[in-house]
Amino acid sequence: MSPTALQTAVLAVLGGLVALDGTSVGQFMVSRPFVAAALGGLVVGRPALGIGIGVLLEALHLAVLPVGASKYPEGGPPAVAAGAVFAASQTTAVATSGTVLVAVLLALGFEWVGGWTVERLRQFNVRLAGAPPEGLSPGRLARRQGAGIAADFARGAVLTLLAVLAMDAVLSMVDFSGFPEIPLATLLRLAMVAGLASALRLFGRGNYPLFIAGAAAGAVVAWLR
Amino acid sequence: MTELGAGVRRRMLLRSFCVQGSWNYQTLIGTGLAFILAPALRNVYAGDGDALARALGRHTELFNSHPYLAAVAAGAIARLEAERVPPETVARFKAAVRGSLGTLGDRLVWLMWRPMSVLLGVSLVLAGAAWWVGALAFLLVFNALHLWMRAWGLKAGLRDGLQIGGTLRGVPFQQMGNRAAQAGALLAGFAAALAAAPRGSHPWQWGAGLAAAILGIALGRRVRAVAVGALLLALAAGLVLART
Repeated sequence: MSPTALQTAVLAVLGGLVALDGTSVGQFMVSRPFVAAALGGLVVGRPALGIGIGVLLEALHLAVLPVGASKYPEGGPPAVAAGAVFAASQTTAVATSGTVLVAVLLALGFEWVGGWTVERLRQFNVRLAGAPPEGLSPGRLARRQGAGIAADFARGAVLTLLAVLAMDAVLSMVDFSGFPEIPLATLLRLAMVAGLASALRLFGRGNYPLFIAGAAAGAVVAWLR
Repeated sequence: MTELGAGVRRRMLLRSFCVQGSWNYQTLIGTGLAFILAPALRNVYAGDGDALARALGRHTELFNSHPYLAAVAAGAIARLEAERVPPETVARFKAAVRGSLGTLGDRLVWLMWRPMSVLLGVSLVLAGAAWWVGALAFLLVFNALHLWMRAWGLKAGLRDGLQIGGTLRGVPFQQMGNRAAQAGALLAGFAAALAAAPRGSHPWQWGAGLAAAILGIALGRRVRAVAVGALLLALAAGLVLART
C-alpha cells in the first residue's frame, strides 16, 4: 500500500516542521531520524514500523555533527518519508529486508539532497543579512527572520514530498520476493551495530571499559529475552 | 539603568528558540541575535525610533554561538544596552564571547549530551519498549538540559552583563560533558549488543556483531560511508539474485 493523498499532504507538513526543528525553530530534536521516522509511521498508522527503520537511520546518523558552518546530511525530513512509506508498504507485521534496504538507501540519498538544500537556503539567507546605515525597524527585522523560517519550512515540505513520492514509486516497482532474506537482514543488523558502536569515538577511547560493561549488560538482556 | 520587565524577558526567551531562523554564511546568527534583543531594545530606546533602528542594525552584524547559549549573550547584551554602555564596548564584548559560547555548547550538547540521549532512546526501543517510550525518554532527557540552558542563560546574562565570563567558568560544563560521555559509552555498548543479537540468535551472529562493533569503533565517523557502500553492494547483489 501507498500513503493516501491526505497522508502525503500531512507528511509534507510534518516534514516542513521537522526541517524547522533541525535548525531554524526550537531544536527540540524531534528531527532526529528515529523520532521523525516514528512520526512518519504514525501518520500512516504504524509508528512501530516507522521507528524500526528510524533506529537504523539513527545509528548511521550518530556521528553527524552540525557544528558551526559545517556541511552535513539532513536526517529529519527523509526519515519522515522513509518511516511513512516503509510502514505503509508493509502488508504484514514482519518487514522484509529488501524493502528495509531500499528505504534506508533512499533515505540516506535524500539526506544528502537535504544537506545540499540547507546550503542553498543559507546562501539565500545572505540577502536577509546585515542592515543599512540607518538601521532596521523591529517590524522589518521580524519580517527578515520570518522569511528565513518560511523558506526553511517550504524547503523541508517539498523535500519530504519528493522523498515520499520517490520512495513509494521505487518500493512499488521493485519485486523483493527474490532477495535473500537472511544475508540481507544480517547485513542491515551489522550496519546498525557498527553505527551504534562508532559513537564510542565521540565519547572518547578512555571510556572503553564503560562501553564493554554496557555491551555485557546488553548481551545479558539479549540472551534472557 | 532601564529595568527590563518580566514580559520583556519572556519575549526574549521565546524568541531565542528562533535564533537560527535566518542562519546565513555572511552574518551567521547575527539577524537572529537582533531578533532576540528587539523586545529589550524597544524598552531601552522607547520613544526614539531612530536610535532603536540603529541599535537593531548594529546587532544584525556577524555573531555566532551555540544556539542554546545565544540566550546568554542576548541577556548580557540587553543589560549592557540598558546601562547605555558605548556601542564599541558592546561590539568588543560580542566578539569576545562568541567563540567560547560556540565551543562550549558544541562540545557539551552536540558531542556529548545529544548522542547520549539518543542512545538512551534507541536502547529502550531495542530492548523492546514501545516506540513512544524510547522517543519520549530521548526527548525528555535531551530537552531537560536544552531548556535549562536557554532559561538559565538568559537569566545569567541579564544579571551578570560583562561579568558573564566568570559565571560561565563557574558552571561545571566540563564535568557535565564528562558524565554524559561516560553514560553515552555505556549506552553505546548496551545498544550495540542488543542490535547484534536478535531473539534466538546463533553464536555466529554474536561473532559477526562483535566484529561489526570493532569495525564501527575503528571507523568512527567513516562508518556511514562504509555502511552505505556495503548496503549498495547488497542491493546490487539482491537485484541480480532476484532476476536469476
